[in-house]
Amino acid sequence: MKRRTWIAGIATLAVATLALTGCSGGSGGGADAMQAHGPITVWYSNNAQELQWGKAMVASWNSTHPKEQIKGQEVPAGKTTEAVIGAAITAGTTPCLVFNNLPAATGQFQKQGGLVDLSKFPGANKYITDRSGASADQYKSSDGDFYQMPWKSNPVVIFYNKDLFTKAGLDPANPKLSTYTDFLATAKKLVSSGAAPYAIYPSPTSEFFQPNFDFLPLYAAETKGQSIIKDGKATINGQAGYDVANFWKTIYADNLAGKDPVQSDVFASGKAAMAIVGPWAIPVYKKVNWGSVPVPTKSGTSAENTWTFPDAKNIGMYTSCKNQGTAWDVVQFATSKAQDGDLLQVTGQMPIRPDLKSDYPDFFAKNPAYNLFASQTSRTVDDPNGPNAIATLQDLRNFYSKAVISGQGDLKSGLDQAAATMTAEWNRK
Amino acid sequence: MTRPGTHPDSGRDGERSQGELERGEVVGARHAPDSSIRTGGSKHPLHIRLFGRNPLGALFSAPYLVFVAIVFAYPLGFAVYMSFFDYFFTAPGAHVNRPFVGLANFVQVFTDPAVMQSFLNVLVFLVINVPLTVVLSIVLASALNSVVHARAFFSVSFYIPYVTASVAVIGVWLFLLNQNGLVNQLLGPLAPDPSWLINPVLAMPTIALFVTWKGLGFYILLFLAALQSVPGELYESAATDGAGKVRQFFSVSVPGVRPATVLVLLLATITGANLFTEPYLLTGGGGPNGASTSPVLLMYQQGIEQGHPGYAAAIGIVLVVFVLIIALLQNRFAGGRE
Amino acid sequence: MMGQPTAIPDQNGTNSAASRPVLRRKRKHRPANSLSRGQTLLRGVVLIIGAFVFLFPFYYMLIGSLQTSPDTTIAGAFPEPGNLTLANYAAINSRIGLLTGLVNSGIFTGGVLLGTVVFGVLAGYALAVLQWRGRDATFALVLLVQVVPFQLLMIPLYVLIARDYGLADNYLGMILPFAISSVAVLIFRQYFMQLPRELFDAARIDGASELRLLWGVALPLVRPALVTALLVTFIGPWNDFLWPFLITKETSMQPLAVSLANYISNVASSAANPFGAILAGACVLAAPVVVVFLFGQRYFISADLGSSVKG
Repeated sequence: MKRRTWIAGIATLAVATLALTGCSGGSGGGADAMQAHGPITVWYSNNAQELQWGKAMVASWNSTHPKEQIKGQEVPAGKTTEAVIGAAITAGTTPCLVFNNLPAATGQFQKQGGLVDLSKFPGANKYITDRSGASADQYKSSDGDFYQMPWKSNPVVIFYNKDLFTKAGLDPANPKLSTYTDFLATAKKLVSSGAAPYAIYPSPTSEFFQPNFDFLPLYAAETKGQSIIKDGKATINGQAGYDVANFWKTIYADNLAGKDPVQSDVFASGKAAMAIVGPWAIPVYKKVNWGSVPVPTKSGTSAENTWTFPDAKNIGMYTSCKNQGTAWDVVQFATSKAQDGDLLQVTGQMPIRPDLKSDYPDFFAKNPAYNLFASQTSRTVDDPNGPNAIATLQDLRNFYSKAVISGQGDLKSGLDQAAATMTAEWNRK
Repeated sequence: MTRPGTHPDSGRDGERSQGELERGEVVGARHAPDSSIRTGGSKHPLHIRLFGRNPLGALFSAPYLVFVAIVFAYPLGFAVYMSFFDYFFTAPGAHVNRPFVGLANFVQVFTDPAVMQSFLNVLVFLVINVPLTVVLSIVLASALNSVVHARAFFSVSFYIPYVTASVAVIGVWLFLLNQNGLVNQLLGPLAPDPSWLINPVLAMPTIALFVTWKGLGFYILLFLAALQSVPGELYESAATDGAGKVRQFFSVSVPGVRPATVLVLLLATITGANLFTEPYLLTGGGGPNGASTSPVLLMYQQGIEQGHPGYAAAIGIVLVVFVLIIALLQNRFAGGRE
Repeated sequence: MMGQPTAIPDQNGTNSAASRPVLRRKRKHRPANSLSRGQTLLRGVVLIIGAFVFLFPFYYMLIGSLQTSPDTTIAGAFPEPGNLTLANYAAINSRIGLLTGLVNSGIFTGGVLLGTVVFGVLAGYALAVLQWRGRDATFALVLLVQVVPFQLLMIPLYVLIARDYGLADNYLGMILPFAISSVAVLIFRQYFMQLPRELFDAARIDGASELRLLWGVALPLVRPALVTALLVTFIGPWNDFLWPFLITKETSMQPLAVSLANYISNVASSAANPFGAILAGACVLAAPVVVVFLFGQRYFISADLGSSVKG
C-alpha cells in the first residue's frame, strides 16, 4: 500500500510531465538585429558612483536621440549577478547591454549563445584595439572575436593605513612591503605591536571570484603576467604558484589575516592595517589616511614593472537585443573619450585605455593618488576566458581554502592536484 | 450530533466507525483488513469503485494538481531529462551540442569527493538538527500550552526568528559568532579557535544550531496545535490514576502528538536535506574547505554558476532519492506502528 | 507515507487511563492536578531561557542598527547614548524606494496568500476528509513536492515562466511558483484530520453538501490552521528574494526583500557604518513581518482547537 502510494505519485507526475514536455524553439537575432535601431534597455552597476555615471550617461544620450531612448536599470549585482544573467539569457529576457560583465563569465555566456559577437560590427575590432591597445587582447574569445567590450579596470594594489603604520613604529612614507620577507615582517610588526588586530584581510570565503583578490594579483606579479591557464593547462603548480601560495599560507598560519567572513569593511574600521583593492576604494576610504604600493613579489619588483589583477568589468551585448545597431552606437558613445573621462572623474575607476595619463592630464594632476593605478592598467592579467572559467576558478578556490587558508596538507602536492583538477575542468566539454 | 469530546477510544474495540475506516487507508498497512474491505469492490456500486466515495475530492484538489503540473512536474521532468545529458542552457535559437551521456553524470556524482563530503555534511546536520528540533519544540510547546501568564509574549518570541528572513538575521549571527564577536567574548578562554563558522569541525554543527533556532517556531506551532487537540479528559484520567505532570507529559502528551511528530520529523529532514541559504550566506559558500557545503549548494554552483546543469540535476535527483529513503525509514520506525 | 494522523492518542496500552473515559467536564480548562512549585519554576525558567535565546539576536540587531560605530564588546550590547543615531536608517531611505517596495511586496504576498488559502483549503479538505480515487497519489505528490529542492527546478521553471508563458516583469509570474504552498496543504490536511469524524458523518446524514460542510462546519473549527497557514505562507513571498529577483528586471516592480537584500549585500558595505547599515536593512526587512505577526498571533494563541471542538 505504502509503496503503491509512492509509485502512484510518481506515475501521476510522469504522466503530467509527458503531457507538458513540449519543447519550444525560439528566434535568434541575426544580421537584421545588428542593423536595427530603436529604444534599448541597459543595466549598470548599483554602487553609488557608477550609478551616478550611468544615469548621467543615459541622460546625455537620451537628450540627443529621441527615437533611440535608453532605459537604464540597476544591475542585479552581488553574488547572484552571473546567475541572474545566465538565467535571463536562457529565457531571452536579457537587456541589450550590461555595463558590469565579469570577464570570467564571458565564455559561459558566449557558449549559451547569449552574447553578440561584437567583432561582426563593421570596424569594431579596430575601434576596440584603438581604444584599449594591447590590454584588449586578453578579452578576445578563443575564436579571436570580441564577445565583450573591454571597458574599465580596477588594478589591484596594496592599500596601507599610514596612521596604523606610525602606531606600530613603522615608517609610513617608506613602507617595507615589496618582497615577501619584508611584507611578512611588516605584517608581524603591525599585529604584534597591537596597532591592528590584522595586518590584511582578504575575504576568506569560498566564492569562485575570491582568488581575484588574493592569489591572482600576486601570481600575476610573480610570473610577470602569466595567466593561470596557458594552452589549456593550469600553470599554478610551478615555482611561482608555490611561492604565492606559501606566502599567503604563512600570513594565515601566523594569524596575520582573519579567517572569518568579512561583513563590514575591515580596512575602513581599522581592524586591518592593509587592504588589497583597486582604485574604486579611494572615495570609499576618504576617512582613512592611506598610502598605496604595488602588490609584493618574492624578491621585490619596482612599481613600474609589477603586474597585477585588473578586476575589470566589461560591456556585454546580448542576443535578445532587438536594436543591436543602437546598442553598438551606445557602446561607442559610452566608451568615448568624453564619457571615459566622466567615468574616471566620478568613479575613480580606470577606463581600459593605454595612455590614461596623457588622455586625462588634468585629472591625474589634481588627483595624484590615482597615478599608481593608471600606470598599472597596462600590466594586468585577467581571469582566463573560456566556457569553464568559473568552474576552474572555483577549483582554485577550493584548493586555496583548504591548503592555504586552513593550511591543511602538503602545499606542493596540493598544487599539483589542484592544477590537474583545473586542467580537467578547463577542458571539460 | 455525537459528543466529539468523548470520542477517544469509546468505540474503538467494538464496531469501527466509518471515519476510522477511511482514515485507515492513509497508511493502509496498519489496518490491512480495512483496505481489503474497500477494494473488495463488489459491495460498492460502480461509481464508487471508479471514483471513490467522494469524487468531489478530485474536483477540490484539481487546482492544486494543475498547479503542481505547471510549476513542478514540468521542471522536474526536465531536470530528470537533463541528468542524462551533458546539458547546457542556451539562449532562444542558439544551438549547442548536448550529447546524451547515459548514466555518466550519476557515476560522477558517486565518485566526486566533493559530493560525498556534502552528503556527509548534511548527515551531520540532520543528526544534530532533527532530534534537537523535535525535542525542543515539543518541550517548549507543552510549556507554552500550560502556561497562563505572558503566554503571548513567549509565543511571539519563539516565532519571531521563524518569520524573519534569513538575509536579515544572518547578519547579526555573523556578528555574534565572529572571532571577536559577543559569543566568544562571553566565553572568554573557552571560545573555540578557529571560531565557530570557520572551524572545519564546528561549521556544520553551528549551521545546524542556527537552523534549529530559526525554524523552531514553526514546529512549536505545529506541536501546539496538536497538543490542543489532545482531549483534556485524558490528562484528567491519567491524573486520577496517580500520574504526575511529568508522567502525563510522556504518557499523554507525547503519544497524543505523534502524528504531528511524524510530520515534524519529516519536514525537518526535508528542510535539512535542502539546506542552501545558510551555508551560502553564513559560511560564504560552503567554507571552510567544503566543511559546510550542502548538496544543494553544490547544485547551485554546478548548475547555475558553472554551467553544468546536467550534473547538477543528477546531484539533485540522487538527493531526492536519499531523502525519500530516509522519509520512508522514518515513517517505518516512527510512524506509529505497534 | 505519514503516520496514522488520527487525533486519537494511541491505543497500545501505554496509557491505561485512556480506555476509561472518566469525564469531569467541570475541570476541563484547569490542569488535572496543578504543577508542583519546582515544576512551575522549571517551566518558567525553560520559557524564559527560550525567549532570551530567541529574542536576543533581534535586540542586538536593533541596537547595532542604531550605533554610530560598531562595538563588539559586551558593553556594546547595551545602548550607549553617545553612540546612537538614526543615520543608518536615513541612508537606506535615501537609497531605496521603500514605499514602492512595500506595495510590490504587498501585491506579491497578497496574491500568494489568496491562492494558498482558497486552493490549499480545498486540497487539504479533500485529502483529509473526502475519500476519492487518487487521493493517496495526490498526497504522495504533496510530499514529493516538498522533497525536491527549488534550485533543481529554478532555471527550467524560470525559462518556462519567462520564455514560454511570457510572464517576466509581471506580478503573475512572480506569484505563480508560490501560488499554492504545499506546506499549507499539509497544514490544512493535518488540522482537518484532527476534527472528529462524527462531525462530518452527522452533517452528511443531515444532507449538507460537501462545500457547505467545508465552509460551515470544518472551516470555522480550523481557524487556527487558517492563521497558521497564512503566517507560514506569508513569510515565503515576503522574504524570498531569488525568484522575484530573477523574474523582475524592473526596479519599480521589485519587492522590498529584493531591494533590501541587494542593499545589505552590496550597497551597505560602502556606507559610513557598514555594519550599522546592514543591521538597519535587516531591521527594515524584519519589521513589517514582526508587525503582521504581532497582530496575527492572538488568533492562534487564543484559539483553542480542543475546546472549540468540544463546544
